Amino acid sequence: MLGSRTPSGPEILPPRYARPRLLDEALALRHGGAQIIAGGTDFYPARVGRPLYDRDVPCVLDLTALAELRGIQDEAGCHRIGALTSWTEIAEAPLPAQFYCLQAVAREVGGRQIQNRGTIGGNLCNASPAADGVPALLALGAEIELLSRAGKRVLPLSEFIRGPRQIALRADEIASAVVIPKPKGAAHSSFVKLGARKYLVISIVMAAGYLDVVGSRIAEARIAVGACSPVAQRLPALEAALKGEVAISSLSRLVKPEHLAPLKPIDDVRASAEYREEAALTVVRRLLEELSA
Amino acid sequence: MKRPPTSQPTTSSGATAREDGVFNRRHFLVGTATSAVLPLSFGTTGVREAVTDAALPTQVPSSSVALLVNGRTHRLILDNRTTLLDALREHLALTGTKKGCDHGQCGACTVHLDGEPILSCLTLVASVEGRAVTTIEGLAQADGALHPVQQAFIDHDAFQCGYCTPGQIMSAVACVEGDRAGSDAEIREYMSGNLCRCAAYPNIVAAIRAAKTEVRS
Repeated sequence: MLGSRTPSGPEILPPRYARPRLLDEALALRHGGAQIIAGGTDFYPARVGRPLYDRDVPCVLDLTALAELRGIQDEAGCHRIGALTSWTEIAEAPLPAQFYCLQAVAREVGGRQIQNRGTIGGNLCNASPAADGVPALLALGAEIELLSRAGKRVLPLSEFIRGPRQIALRADEIASAVVIPKPKGAAHSSFVKLGARKYLVISIVMAAGYLDVVGSRIAEARIAVGACSPVAQRLPALEAALKGEVAISSLSRLVKPEHLAPLKPIDDVRASAEYREEAALTVVRRLLEELSA
Repeated sequence: MKRPPTSQPTTSSGATAREDGVFNRRHFLVGTATSAVLPLSFGTTGVREAVTDAALPTQVPSSSVALLVNGRTHRLILDNRTTLLDALREHLALTGTKKGCDHGQCGACTVHLDGEPILSCLTLVASVEGRAVTTIEGLAQADGALHPVQQAFIDHDAFQCGYCTPGQIMSAVACVEGDRAGSDAEIREYMSGNLCRCAAYPNIVAAIRAAKTEVRS
């Protein structure tokens, strides 16, 4: 562990800590190999019984003083949510109906204390298969912006999260914002979470859906399910079935078991694969009932 | 583990542990707990596994932190890994904030940061420099008069063992003062981050409902 002495080796000291206010300073530290911490709500629990900081990092880079990475901007063609925006800020922001799924997520991630500290960027970079933010942001068609001293990269969220705890963030990059395109027509969205209790619970299955309605018909639909595969998955066959439908009809009737083919649920402490498979179908049907209303 | 030698139990904030001349159990425990932080606060408190067979390194990277707690500024030199919870309990002897699960699941360590409830066990103390921390010790007035939420918890028997109570009260104060106690359902949602092993939940909700009326009047 850090801060201890190995039998034959030298002392290994914990790294220094930096909480810069300027983005350039943060990018320089990251270029030098700094390990990132933001809200910290996943940082400690992932390290119980282990060294608090990774080996061989020269510096721990706390991003929480970077004001320019916080807040929600309404821009031409998109909304930009700074990576350090907290769940409380998202839940309480005056956002259009398009964002209902994300605001519902914001109220169900942990308790109030977690929502006050946990950040949207951290939720994505932590890349838990049970991260509530991921299906909602997949449904919203989100892209993630990555900054380094070399410049900016933008990746679709589906390319950024590669597996459980695996992301396409380079060692010199900082995730700076989540970018969400504006709809063509009137969009709304919804989020349904199944847990073992109402609040403060890790999802067994969760689903998010987004409908962009032009005239009375669905011009674009995106449906994503989480906690049923290594990374939350969209359901393209269901999305295709929804496209062109009259938006106010009972959409749940369109859901077929084969639409859930992209899911690969596993057994874990929260549920069996079999239960998840059945629950996912029910959760997606409930989601579409909410979206029809 | 070897600790730096100290001559006399005292708290790191400089206050004597025996102001009233009585050396009781709590003072003794507080004294011995904090003696390890002298002379330069090289405690083990940021470390998540026990250091057993070696002295602490002499050059542990540390941060000088000006910590504003309950209206008083404390300057501490702390190991970079120290959490706000450990800083409060082990270095400032503010043991009202409780360590329950120590990884963000129970809410016992809830304090306010600039008026908003957060979990002190998940917060690096170095990250709260310059911001106002309020703990359970900071709620009562100087004359000892309890905060209306504290009084309501007593009046409504909103605890059994009491271990989760400081955290419950800190969340409850934010719930009431943030005007988030509009209905029992809203109270329950706001308070969902605080677990009570004794299941005093109905009385906690009743206390918050009553405190809301009290705070408004």
